[in-house]
Amino acid sequence: MSTSSTVTVPNATPRATRRASTSLLTKRRRRVGVVLTIPAFVLVGLLIVWPILQAVYYSMTYWDGLTTQWIGPSTWWQALHNPTMWRALENNALLLLAVPFALAIPLAVAVMLHQRVAGWKVFRSIYFLPTAISWVVIGLVAEHFFAYSGTLNSLLGDVGISNAHTDLLGSESTALIALGITFIFSMIGTNTMLFLTGLATLDTSLEEAARIDGASAWQIFRYITLPHLSRFIQLAFVMTIISAFSALFSLIFVMTGGGPGYATTTMEFLVYQTGFNQSQFGTAALYGLILFLITAVVGIIQLRLIGANDS
Amino acid sequence: MLTASPPTRLRSPRRRRVTRGVIFIAMVVMAIVMLYPFAVMLFTSFKTENQYLAGHGTSTQSWHQLASSLPIFQQLLNSTIVCSASIAIILVVGVMAGFSFAKLQFRFANLIFLAMVSAMMVPLQAILIPEYVNVARFGLTNGYLGAVLVYAALGTPFSIFLFTTYFRRVPDELIEAGIVDGLGYWGVLWRLALPMALPAIATVTVLQFIQIWDDLLVGLLFLQNPAERPITVGLAALAAGRTTSIPQLMAGSLVSALPAMLVYLGFQRFLVRGLTLGIDR
Repeated sequence: MSTSSTVTVPNATPRATRRASTSLLTKRRRRVGVVLTIPAFVLVGLLIVWPILQAVYYSMTYWDGLTTQWIGPSTWWQALHNPTMWRALENNALLLLAVPFALAIPLAVAVMLHQRVAGWKVFRSIYFLPTAISWVVIGLVAEHFFAYSGTLNSLLGDVGISNAHTDLLGSESTALIALGITFIFSMIGTNTMLFLTGLATLDTSLEEAARIDGASAWQIFRYITLPHLSRFIQLAFVMTIISAFSALFSLIFVMTGGGPGYATTTMEFLVYQTGFNQSQFGTAALYGLILFLITAVVGIIQLRLIGANDS
Repeated sequence: MLTASPPTRLRSPRRRRVTRGVIFIAMVVMAIVMLYPFAVMLFTSFKTENQYLAGHGTSTQSWHQLASSLPIFQQLLNSTIVCSASIAIILVVGVMAGFSFAKLQFRFANLIFLAMVSAMMVPLQAILIPEYVNVARFGLTNGYLGAVLVYAALGTPFSIFLFTTYFRRVPDELIEAGIVDGLGYWGVLWRLALPMALPAIATVTVLQFIQIWDDLLVGLLFLQNPAERPITVGLAALAAGRTTSIPQLMAGSLVSALPAMLVYLGFQRFLVRGLTLGIDR
């Protein structure tokens, strides 16, 4: 026992091994354990955690990137009265209207793929393919699609409504719609992939039994498929919301630059604009923190949901 | 064919065939939608500026002129350098920390692990401003190092999470045996544990490659020297120029998209695994 206990990992519960945890080997194991995490600790600590603390400090200063002037928590109060920030938050809220579509379309696509009709593997690869390309590229194509002399208008012309010339990106009331549609398109591949993985874990004999019992396709979907997918839908829901808040930069940069006016400026784009176009680094840091708080709340809700499912 | 049979309550093979036919057509329509960007890039790139405006004709002119408006080879090389260096750091740091968190129970290991994994939830925009100023202060916005470090830091939490989950499956007995045989923890990690985590290495590599290759924001801010610009940033910069020829822009887009598409098509299953890891445990 005394010889073997020296190499036993203390997770093995008996008291004898517990006491042996002060042994030389255990000390060595712990030391190695600490040493192996140092690079990760340094990297994440210096480049992620430390900047958060800095952002908290700088959010209460007037800061143009060179000189810093302490102002205090009143900066937060001022920001809450800034109409531009509310406009950006409003745009974010409006973009959330795209989320149901970004879930429902992939769900329908995944259920269709799951029927395994001829060529479904080819279709699957085609649907996933846009996932690989940059949202910069998708944005460039979308800009070309929505432009005044673009594809959408020539399509409308082909169907005979040529006088309904649209300029979605050029008008303040509609630019966000074009951005939202592009966002939905960009999310289809990822979410379809998620749902299809979920469907693959579904026991097909269950559906078969229901079918033999005379259940309609809709009943099978509603009472067997959908409940089974609930965790995957939750995950996709949260990932889509977080993307809506923090992954649209490329699309906005390429398609609208935040305009016309502030029509497509979301919080994440406002952080960039305020910092790098207006050199108000303090205010930009503050906006970044507000964005962080929003995504953190969404993330915590997600963790709660997963925890609730586990128990 | 549709009118041939009266509607029956039982699902006849014929009705089933019709349903599948409808699904097939819907999937074809969807495929057209999803392939639309690729079709636009391909067809537009084979036109001159005038042909594009006129709507007909083909030419290889924009492909010939592409290299003069977009230093495409240099930028592809820059993207490759930044991607490889970042992924190398993400893998090495993630493997070491993951092994430690999973198998070398030290004090506060679980707490630190949780803190590391929570860092996954921090959006870049939340720390963008201080990060940029810090990196610029060290003069790292010129040269690849600044961007590489930022990408590495952003990718490391997920990598740690994935490797920890993988290494937890390595039996303790195997590690003990390795120690008894005198491999040492370092030897156990690289010779015994790592081969069991090869799928995790593939998953991290594919996910990060696509993410970093496709990213704009970090490259835009942390690679200020135009000679070191990655291809995605180069494209966005080219698009921002108002006089840019659209056929050339589309040709450049297609070139920029190809590497990530190839990686994706080759390693699709690792991508799926990484995405669903949160629920599949």
